[in-house]
Amino acid sequence: MDKAFQGEHLLPGHIGQIFVILSFGAALLSAISYYFATTNKNPLDKSWLWMGRIGFFLNSFSLLGVVCCLFYIIYNHYFEYHYAWAYTSKSLPVYYLVSGFWNGQEGGFLLWTFWQAVLGNVLIWRAKSWEKPVMTVIALSQVVLATMILGVEIFGTKFGSSPFLLLRNANLDAPFLSRPNYLSRLNDGQGMNPLLQNYWMVIHPPTLFLGLASVVIPFAYAIAGLWQKKYKEWIPIAIPYALFASLVLGTGVIMGSLWAYESLNFGGFWAWDPVENASIFPWLTMVGAVHVLIVFKNTGHSYFTATFLVLASFIMVLYSSFLARSGILGDTSVHSFTDLGMFWQLVIFILIFLALSIILVAIRWKELPIAKKDEETYSREFWMFVGSVFLALSCLHLILVTSIPLWNAMFGTKLAPPINLVAHYNVIQAAFALVITLLTGFTQFLKYKKTDSTRFYITTLVYFGSALLITGVIIFITVLYHLQFVFWLVMLGSIYSLLANGKILADAFKGKFKLAGSAVAHMGFALMLVGALIAAGTRSVVSKNESGTINLRGFTKEAGDVHENIMMYKNEPVTMGDYQVTYVGDSLSEPNHFYKVDYKRLDDKGKVVEEFMLKPNVQINPRMGLTPTPDTKHYLLHDLYSHITALPPISEKPMADNTGGAHGEENDDSSYDPPVVHEISIGDSIPYKNGVIVLKSLNREANLQNIPLGKNDVAIGANLEVKTDHKSYTAAPVFMIKNGNVFDFARKVDEAGLKLRLTKIKPQPDNKVKVEITVYEQPENKKPWIVMRVLDFPYINFLWSGTVIMMLGFILSIFRRNKELNVE
Amino acid sequence: MKKGAIFGLVVIAVAIAVIISVYSSSSSYGSFNDAKKTAEELRVVGHLDKQKELYYDAAKDANYFSFYVKDKQGEECKVVYGGTKPQDFERSEQIVLTGQMVGNEFHASEILMKCPSKYTQDKIELTDVKAKKPVNI
Repeated sequence: MDKAFQGEHLLPGHIGQIFVILSFGAALLSAISYYFATTNKNPLDKSWLWMGRIGFFLNSFSLLGVVCCLFYIIYNHYFEYHYAWAYTSKSLPVYYLVSGFWNGQEGGFLLWTFWQAVLGNVLIWRAKSWEKPVMTVIALSQVVLATMILGVEIFGTKFGSSPFLLLRNANLDAPFLSRPNYLSRLNDGQGMNPLLQNYWMVIHPPTLFLGLASVVIPFAYAIAGLWQKKYKEWIPIAIPYALFASLVLGTGVIMGSLWAYESLNFGGFWAWDPVENASIFPWLTMVGAVHVLIVFKNTGHSYFTATFLVLASFIMVLYSSFLARSGILGDTSVHSFTDLGMFWQLVIFILIFLALSIILVAIRWKELPIAKKDEETYSREFWMFVGSVFLALSCLHLILVTSIPLWNAMFGTKLAPPINLVAHYNVIQAAFALVITLLTGFTQFLKYKKTDSTRFYITTLVYFGSALLITGVIIFITVLYHLQFVFWLVMLGSIYSLLANGKILADAFKGKFKLAGSAVAHMGFALMLVGALIAAGTRSVVSKNESGTINLRGFTKEAGDVHENIMMYKNEPVTMGDYQVTYVGDSLSEPNHFYKVDYKRLDDKGKVVEEFMLKPNVQINPRMGLTPTPDTKHYLLHDLYSHITALPPISEKPMADNTGGAHGEENDDSSYDPPVVHEISIGDSIPYKNGVIVLKSLNREANLQNIPLGKNDVAIGANLEVKTDHKSYTAAPVFMIKNGNVFDFARKVDEAGLKLRLTKIKPQPDNKVKVEITVYEQPENKKPWIVMRVLDFPYINFLWSGTVIMMLGFILSIFRRNKELNVE
Repeated sequence: MKKGAIFGLVVIAVAIAVIISVYSSSSSYGSFNDAKKTAEELRVVGHLDKQKELYYDAAKDANYFSFYVKDKQGEECKVVYGGTKPQDFERSEQIVLTGQMVGNEFHASEILMKCPSKYTQDKIELTDVKAKKPVNI
């Protein structure tokens, strides 16, 4: 039978696991009941509907229970649970304990299913006649998500991975876990990956998962529309939800990139990592869907595209979750999860909803209200449709490249991602961005149905001409002309879009207020592209380092001439771009080690115009090594971004400055060059590598703490001044005769890399004194140093402000579409 | 011809163009032997030879890091990277290098390493066996 283990807290885990199973059962009950409620022909029979509702409430309630139990376990540091042990530790502050909650895959699923439950409750309240079919789909999705956290083995197959797994059951290679007293030896959890200890990680995952979860609503409406043969009716209702999903998903993705910019070290806000890409698949298709849904609502065109993109968006959510969690990205992504043995479960998740979509569309194909007549060329609907298709094509490109490991697994090929991956993505996605920005521009001058083409051409060209001029100026000022031509064109497209939508916004203020939402969103999108383009395209390395390089034959630009790191000894200023930069000291605030770096900007005359301090930090984590976090000086128009890229081995360097002259005794001569002895008088100076040492005076009554002096004892201190180019320091080594024995106490000047001893006193005949000073100089490589990389991101604030403006546009649109719905 | 059909063709053409461009710009995983035969950049998968010296001396050059890698065929080659030593480099189990041969050295422009203990939790550290290890970024 079970062995007894001491000190375990099994109750919260048991309760949690019961809630997990209950949530699965309740979701299943709800899905089945809603299905029968939908197919039930008798309108008076509400029993199935109530069963469905009760099932869903019960599912929501048990998920809340799961969340509480898991948080209770994490909060109380019950490391007998694998989840608490793996992702948190005692030293984490509470707000990071919260983010520890969604650190693992189980927590991610939990967050997702939790949000979906919340959204389901909103729909029960709001969906009215659509409740039954829509909730059938959402409850089905809840069933599948519940299996992901089930952690139950049936017929030898494991379903899901439970967050309440006990550490001793986690198949870890640690025999001590089978001892009854294992908990007493397990003092702390593994702690959180230091990269995740950032405030963005507290709000980014919940936002992203709310976005992912909300994609299910338009999907459920589309399925319900096909199923109930209400082909047209679902569309206006789905529009606000589709806008909401785009809004939240977009916000979540951008928060992720802010996190990357502030706490990761690849030096940017977007790295085209497969996991990042996967998070924008559904966003691209959803934004495309929003446009064609509106087209259909206004003109009856683009029905199939609208349905297709709505269905595809949810499939993309599932696919991106598969990419991130199945372990398939192994070789290409730095932050994908490893496989929890759920590969096939994730595949089946996709297949269920893919099959549902395809089969329903196929069955209903002949009845779909697909317009027989083509759109007019000079009509808004046609070009909105074109834009949506291009959004989908841009998504297709991302999928193709991101999924290369999947293609290899499927077809047995051995393709590797393109060598210059970032450039590949940038160029091809820029081409799509060009088309899309131009479309968001000139489509504004078109009306639904039909537009007078002459007038259209005149306005379009006037705006295009102005855009051309402005773009020329911008490209010149921001030196964007170093980039490939396609990026100039994207800039042109974005400026054009800004102008065209600016006009619409101006009209909106004159009374056509309902147009404001789309205009604001388009302007935000264009501004975002402008910011991203300039910041990423003209990013410059400030810490360029031409001096002291080992010449590498054949190291060309193409092969990565990345001399982007600069080394700085403590207190030795280095000129770096416009700045004079000095590494001045360290401070330790567990577990972060901050490196204080002083920046001075000088004008032509050498006067300091600006001075500030940046403190990039490094977290010393026993399990994960050192993790640097950048520090950035934000200006209105650009950012100065700096991070540590190398340090001397920690054991050799003093941890902090406050050690002063306290260690005279310890023998650390080995970390200095061989000593040099100088015989000098008062007022003489000794030259050394970085300056001079001056003997100011002798103090015949030097006293030392803890050493009382007898009547015949002597203690003499030498008041020395160490002068370097920039600073001077004082030091007073002491020479002592106590009880007939000779001692001396060395003094260190760490800032100057010196250790000084007063080794002999030589009285001279003329009542003068000569003393012997022994100078220990630190060799260059023993001095404290850091290596930094400093980047300048111009105009990056356009990116962030553009994002905020775009989100605002989405919000305005949600209100407008919702109002229209209520009027109808 | 209907406009819808024309646009449909355009979409198909763009899609095909995208597929071709992805396929043609995709690279391949090779060995150091392959790298010697070509002047182009390629990716080599291998693992760090932990017996041999990892050279990084910021005082001499903060942008020079060299080490030895054994590729999957078991061939070993000196690798030079023009940057700092990546954190936790010694712990890496697998390394994917992007670069080309220059003489007898492989000059890498990108290093991607997998440290399994970093993101999966398969190692237990007990308080009584914790040892201070030399650290380096």
